[in-house]
Amino acid sequence: MKEKNILVVAVLGIVLACGLYFAFSTRSERSFKNGEVNVLNWTSYIPDDVISDFEKEFGIRVNYGTYSSNEELLAKLSSSNEGAYDLVFPSDYMVELLIQRGMLEKMDKERLRNFSNIDSLFLNQDYDSSNEYSLPFLLAYAELIYDASKIRKPISSYRDLINKDYRNNIILINDQRIIIGSALLATGAEMNSVKDEELEMALKFFEELKPNIKAFDSDSPKTFLITKEAEIGLIWNAEATLAKNENPNLKTVFPKEGFAISMDNYCIPKNSKNRANAYRLIDFLLREDISARIVEEYPYISPNNGLISENEAEIQEILENGSYVENVGVDIKKLDRLWARFK
Amino acid sequence: MKKRVKPSLFRAVVTLPAIIYCLGLILLPILYVFFLSFLTSDSYGGYTYDFTLNNYVEIFEPTYIVMFLKSSAIALLVTFLTLLISYPFAIFLMDKTEKKQNFLIKLVMIPFLTNSLIRTFGWVILLRKNGLINTGLMSTGLISSPLALMYNTFGIVIGLTYTLLPFMILPVYSAVSKVDRNLISAAKDLGASKWKVFKEVYLPLTLSGAFNGSLMVFIPAIGYFFIADILGGGKVMIIGDLIRNQFLSARNWPFGAALSIFLLLFTLLLLKLYRKIGGRLDELGGGI
Repeated sequence: MKEKNILVVAVLGIVLACGLYFAFSTRSERSFKNGEVNVLNWTSYIPDDVISDFEKEFGIRVNYGTYSSNEELLAKLSSSNEGAYDLVFPSDYMVELLIQRGMLEKMDKERLRNFSNIDSLFLNQDYDSSNEYSLPFLLAYAELIYDASKIRKPISSYRDLINKDYRNNIILINDQRIIIGSALLATGAEMNSVKDEELEMALKFFEELKPNIKAFDSDSPKTFLITKEAEIGLIWNAEATLAKNENPNLKTVFPKEGFAISMDNYCIPKNSKNRANAYRLIDFLLREDISARIVEEYPYISPNNGLISENEAEIQEILENGSYVENVGVDIKKLDRLWARFK
Repeated sequence: MKKRVKPSLFRAVVTLPAIIYCLGLILLPILYVFFLSFLTSDSYGGYTYDFTLNNYVEIFEPTYIVMFLKSSAIALLVTFLTLLISYPFAIFLMDKTEKKQNFLIKLVMIPFLTNSLIRTFGWVILLRKNGLINTGLMSTGLISSPLALMYNTFGIVIGLTYTLLPFMILPVYSAVSKVDRNLISAAKDLGASKWKVFKEVYLPLTLSGAFNGSLMVFIPAIGYFFIADILGGGKVMIIGDLIRNQFLSARNWPFGAALSIFLLLFTLLLLKLYRKIGGRLDELGGGI
């Protein structure tokens, strides 16, 4: 029995040693003579090799953490010590909120050689009207997508989704603001409305739609469309593009009642300790070749003017017709209750 | 004298980590959540120190009550299904040699070695429209169009039953194995059918084990939101979802805290019920 125990301990020890070796070896081989930078970003947003190329080129170690919602980012920022993070990527409404709460440093554009790479279309958005605290990183929009080989009647509006033939056939983003917002748009209201009558209308629309919904999924809605589990979706554009690459029968449309857009931004949290390195990383990510690598893997829209030349008109249209999620203050409780009733 | 001091000192030293663990990592967070549940949300993810009972009043809004009932109904069904599987399994084990019993119980434990999230995704591969079960059934011609096995309540029930089954099997097995074998032989000699042996002998003697398992299945079953999200397609909200949403999307931590405390009180109530029917708290540690 005793020998057995020794054996178990030995095996565990070896496993642990190997784990520690692999965890630290790749990093310690390289020297990070220029310090570090603490980054907090969305999950799957910047390819790993882009980060390791930055580490190699600048000798700066990147400590990379992730979050999966703006609220999670807010929670992480408020609960950690000031200066724990040097670069974060909040969306539009969260930028506004972080500015209001005094949680961001001003953005010094002079320090960014590649600032001029940002197309002016993307600057001066409502949530930070003169880009004092934020600079655009990527733009996303929610669009309708359907398998044209199966869905014969072309879809062009949210209303088209209400059809008895589409039972259990629609995949939606699992995001309460976007889905409630789209239901509001479908009934002719504003996406950010919190008026009781309009919310009731949205609920009615949603109840009609409900039997057609296959699932809510934000992690990988494209899988549903690729495996033909669902033939219609309301999903983010990058997911839609990736799905189209796999299944050429898929068609995307901008819903004619309007749609949600979301801009993620570079922001430096208050009292960041490695500000110089944060600027270096932003500057690196703003380079055209690097931006191109990012959107190749995660096909959102990059504000890099070298990358948008051909579809500038389309992007202008997206920015004009799309709506950002806005902060609604205490009325968020109403939306939460509505969401519980939705489901 | 010296000899007496030493063991108690020794005991103090070895129990210290456990005490620190219980105080620091269990009691303190619960106290924090309790305190938080009386504060007012500023709707920006923070809170102000205006003490209020509103968070508790809000729980009783019809929308949330309906959800609470739905979630409890699913959890009850799951509890019932795990009981239905565990009893025959435990009684079946009684006829086996000790070695075989140990082996079979180990098989029950093996799934614990992998992450439950990964196991849940395994079910997706089996249950989806063009998954193994549907394609299998369709190729044999038993069905002509795929069955809706997931992205509904059915999928959630399968996932929860599967994940929580070991928590029922262990206490039920432990209770069943304590039943005096002579009673079973006597019942059989007197002509009792298998069903009668179960109903008249096993069941009354193992009730506390069954209740113990039911607690350990029911409580996680109202909270495991990841199973509801993956196998239910996020269409059915369970209480765990609602609590998570308060922290991650509605930015209403005090309400989330109040819901958690409410759930805790609910659990304590169930524990009280358990003691009333004769269960012992020290048996809740997992059976064997």
